[in-house]
Amino acid sequence: MITHELIERIEGEAVLDFKTDKSGRVEDTAIRFLHFRGMEAILEGRNALDALVITPRVCGICGHSHLIATVKMIENVYRNAGAAIRISDKANAIRQITLSCELIQNHIKWLYLVMLHESGKMVGEEPTVALKALYVSSQVNQLCALFSGQWPHSSYALPGGVSCDPTHIEVMQGLKILSDVERFVEDEVLGCTPEMFEQTMRDNTVLNLKGDFGTVLRNFERLKVLDTGKSHGRFLVLGDERIAMANGIRSSAELALVSEDASQTFEHGGKTYAKNALYNGEFYEGGPLARALVQERAGVGDLYRIYEDSAVTRLSARVGEMVLLCAQVRQLLTSLDLSQPSFIPPPAIESISAEGIGIIEAPRGSLIHRARIERGKIVSYSIITPTQWNLGNGTASNRGIAQKAMIGAESIAKASLIFRTFDVCSVCTTH
Amino acid sequence: MPSNPAKLKVIWLQGITCNGNTHSFLNDPALGTLLETIEFIHHPLLPCQKTLKELVKKVPKSDILIFEGSYNAAFERAGVEMRTLLPALAHKAKHIISMGSCASFGGIFKENDPEHISGIVFDRENASGPLKSMQEKVITLSGCPAHPKWLSFVIDMISAGREILVDEFRRPKELYAYLVHNGCLRNEYFEWKVDSEHFGTKEGCLFYAQGCQGPFTHGSCNKILWNEVSSKTRSGTPCVGCTEPTFPKRELFTTKTYMSIPSEMPLGIPKRSYLALAGAAKSFHIKRLEERLIDDHA
Repeated sequence: MITHELIERIEGEAVLDFKTDKSGRVEDTAIRFLHFRGMEAILEGRNALDALVITPRVCGICGHSHLIATVKMIENVYRNAGAAIRISDKANAIRQITLSCELIQNHIKWLYLVMLHESGKMVGEEPTVALKALYVSSQVNQLCALFSGQWPHSSYALPGGVSCDPTHIEVMQGLKILSDVERFVEDEVLGCTPEMFEQTMRDNTVLNLKGDFGTVLRNFERLKVLDTGKSHGRFLVLGDERIAMANGIRSSAELALVSEDASQTFEHGGKTYAKNALYNGEFYEGGPLARALVQERAGVGDLYRIYEDSAVTRLSARVGEMVLLCAQVRQLLTSLDLSQPSFIPPPAIESISAEGIGIIEAPRGSLIHRARIERGKIVSYSIITPTQWNLGNGTASNRGIAQKAMIGAESIAKASLIFRTFDVCSVCTTH
Repeated sequence: MPSNPAKLKVIWLQGITCNGNTHSFLNDPALGTLLETIEFIHHPLLPCQKTLKELVKKVPKSDILIFEGSYNAAFERAGVEMRTLLPALAHKAKHIISMGSCASFGGIFKENDPEHISGIVFDRENASGPLKSMQEKVITLSGCPAHPKWLSFVIDMISAGREILVDEFRRPKELYAYLVHNGCLRNEYFEWKVDSEHFGTKEGCLFYAQGCQGPFTHGSCNKILWNEVSSKTRSGTPCVGCTEPTFPKRELFTTKTYMSIPSEMPLGIPKRSYLALAGAAKSFHIKRLEERLIDDHA
């Protein structure tokens, strides 16, 4: 039987086509995204700096990631054109702080609005609006705005640095907010300290966690889906460091092996607007799980050895990343050297012609911006979003990451829940 | 807690969007209090009474329809085209809020298909959108995104049955009569015509070289601060004019000049008056404004 299921309460909407057997077990799936906005075409012909305003509008929940990818791309264009461009450690640290804030608020919203809510509904215990989680997300965004001016849709990062010139007052406010966020993570999300959380992953006792994340895991356990949702076990991280992992073996990743495949799109007779992103011709998973595994983070690696890339590992990796990023933001804030320049003026963009690439680790995985600039104008622009890696639509012999993870699920509802563990964003996928 | 038995029934529908207004709305620290006065029949992210599928099956009445994103007649939600869905919901809504610049004027996404994409009442400056005939019940909250407090203000006014005074684009005057320039920390540099040498400093006005549109953009960004703490100009970023029907203009980080003065004047200021004042202001060298504000920075 074929069922078309509209997946809502994600970023945008997606349609899943399920082929099920008599018992309702999912035999096959297709993931479809039906909305397209033409962001790349909007950018072409504009001044390259305009992209700092346009690309954040690709996505309301991860627009800051697009801003940072854009600025890195333009800085790469400068370097490829042989022009001098320097970024102070301070500006780099501030960008890292604001980008990390975006990841933290994203992970909190995903955990509460999506995973806790959807899994709770399925076990007959639908929670009320997660106001406490939304309040904390708004605080994280406030921390970001102390530097970026606003969240969402800031354009404060420019080639050469950042536009803000903070004082110790902003740093102090930021640290106070961070303390509240850390307290929320300990008291509400985990129910224990970050160290004890890591120990539960090592001891395989995450189900005993007292916080709301424990509730999510126990809901998954009750639904018998905690150790389901396995995919190809191939992982890719391209921002910061470039590492691919397949069959448990890590190797350095080559950008030349990244490709986009449009064979499933409407343009080519398919049923979706989303192009697949492939590495070496195959689907690789990006995002918190990939980052934790390639960086050999303690805890997540232990879960992976037992459960491979099933739901429990994928969920724990995202929550683990939330904890890790809080610690990193604290470190960055306390070590910020305010005496350095925020911005070192580069040569005028109108003097620059070259191609460039900017890659960062966004909430859902590696985000790639590429462009060709001629005398400061955008000639072509191309974006590969994280969800194109994870939510691609493969063929019968080569299934996409989330597609493979859903096949074999006992029901459409359970497959849809597994789908959501990937933190689905349709607005990004079809930019 | 005041007794308020009848909550306003609200539907939040999205057209072509990035979800930016949804996430801006979720930033409201008083969201819990707001949710005591409204209930969502449908919302794209928050728990609500009806899924999108249920919403389109039998279009319900509502007190407020909030529309986010730009309009294209052929754009579908849950398999129903906007040309059908939006007017049906709008007819059954007592009030309509156009949330963000896409819904208000077409915004960024209009750029991709200018012929078919518009706002719900306005297409850029022209009142030619699909809901033009019911614009009397539409409140425009332009901005990319709109501020959560702007939305809660409008909901509060509707809830209290108060009249909302609006401008030519149906934007509440209490929010949009101000300019982004008002309350900017760099106002003194504007007054004395001291421009910012480059980004990343506390000093200087961004209107003369960096493309700041604050002096002619309607919005209370520097009165009702973003995320409670800041704004674009307070973080040294030029205003990009996101509340206006002209958003997005081009060359957003450069001031277009004519005879070395900004070619677009502060709102309502005749060029002659500006020139007279600017000439006088520039003739003085105010030492304090030419120095670093805090001297411990190299």
